[in-house]
Amino acid sequence: MSHSVLDRFEQTIVPLLDDAYTLARHLLRDEHDAQDVVQEAYLRAWRYFGGFHGGDERAWLLTIVRNCSYTWRRKGPAEHVPYDDEAHSADAPARNGADARAIDDSERQRLTSALDRLPAEFREALVLREIEGLSYHDIARVTGVPVGTVMSRLARARERMRRLLKRTA
Amino acid sequence: MPAFCQTARDSLSAYVDGELPPDRAAEIADHLTTCPACSAEYQALLETVAALRSQLTRFTAPDVLRARIRAAVAATPSESVAAEQIRPSARNDRRRLTRALGVAAAVFVGAALGAGGTLVAAGGGRNAAPVASEVLASHVRSLIPDHLTDVRSSDQHNVKPWFNGRLDYSPTVLRFDDQGYPLIGGRVDYVGGRPVAVVVYGRRQHMINVFSWPTGSGDAPVATRTVNGYNMISWRHGGSERWVVSDLNAAELRSFAALLQRADSVSS
Ligand SMILES: [Zn+2]
Repeated sequence: MSHSVLDRFEQTIVPLLDDAYTLARHLLRDEHDAQDVVQEAYLRAWRYFGGFHGGDERAWLLTIVRNCSYTWRRKGPAEHVPYDDEAHSADAPARNGADARAIDDSERQRLTSALDRLPAEFREALVLREIEGLSYHDIARVTGVPVGTVMSRLARARERMRRLLKRTA
Repeated sequence: MPAFCQTARDSLSAYVDGELPPDRAAEIADHLTTCPACSAEYQALLETVAALRSQLTRFTAPDVLRARIRAAVAATPSESVAAEQIRPSARNDRRRLTRALGVAAAVFVGAALGAGGTLVAAGGGRNAAPVASEVLASHVRSLIPDHLTDVRSSDQHNVKPWFNGRLDYSPTVLRFDDQGYPLIGGRVDYVGGRPVAVVVYGRRQHMINVFSWPTGSGDAPVATRTVNGYNMISWRHGGSERWVVSDLNAAELRSFAALLQRADSVSS
């Protein structure tokens, strides 16, 4: 019986490892922290998996990963470092027009550094929506806020990204 | 900017995600065909979203992490599996585990309720399940350290005024210290997309959350449910709906609910 639970865990939760790691990397912005947090989250998920009777495994797991990430950091999503548009406007790497691959990488870097400068609650909403592809309903469940809050956070996060990208283009 | 444009701008992001109600989405779609300014805004937003989706980094977990996890899982018994299988007293353990897991537990509780899986209802109105699910999720969430109360006081004269200005109605806040249910505090939470009052009482080491909000529906008799080890008691009286939730045993929770009901019928 315990074997079949392990099989079920292997089939449903282990394949979500990249999703879990991606969320932790973006929330913690550190490779080693992210690995430790994901391992911790998986152990918790495993411990409680017997009580999980199906439903959305991804939202369930990402909730655990998010909570472990914030516990790791010992600070909530609201306690972000005050953000200053102007102070960071020159951070992005210069574009190299010669090489398509280089453009691609610099584009990626620009976006990543813009994302890293967002307050945590905007960053997590964007990662859950644009990378993980969660519905507003699931983002609300993972982040523990009403759907209306998810809606306005996403709108504001996108607006900020747009302004940041325009300025560094 | 015309007023409609302003509200349309606020909805564009949700429109891109297909998260607007159909009638609202149709309004926006219609407006975009006739308003060049909003249409340009929409195009710019689409470009931003497309850039984010194609360029934000999706990381691949290193193989060593996968191996570490497999090894750790193999070395750890899944506690709730063991609890379910072995001991008749397992329910207490499961409750503690559920409490420890906090928000994650709320997600699975919600999923279980959504599927109708473990919901045992006695009485109650139509569509009580989504409300029950949200109330229970809120209760489970509140058991995380620091999430229980926004105002912490054993004096109803502190707790009751705290709700003024935060809600458009005033919840009943009473003291039942003499009966062994001390007042702990209150918080505002969300049920059915609206803010609701939660008054928190204690009983030994157990927490009791009392949710209340105004309702247009008529009175409804007491309904009890047991979901994942939590007892829930709900009723409607005199324009208020109330939900009492706790992991306290059903008999004691019923006597507590009876105290509240008696107070309700005196005050209305
Ligand atoms: Zn317009």
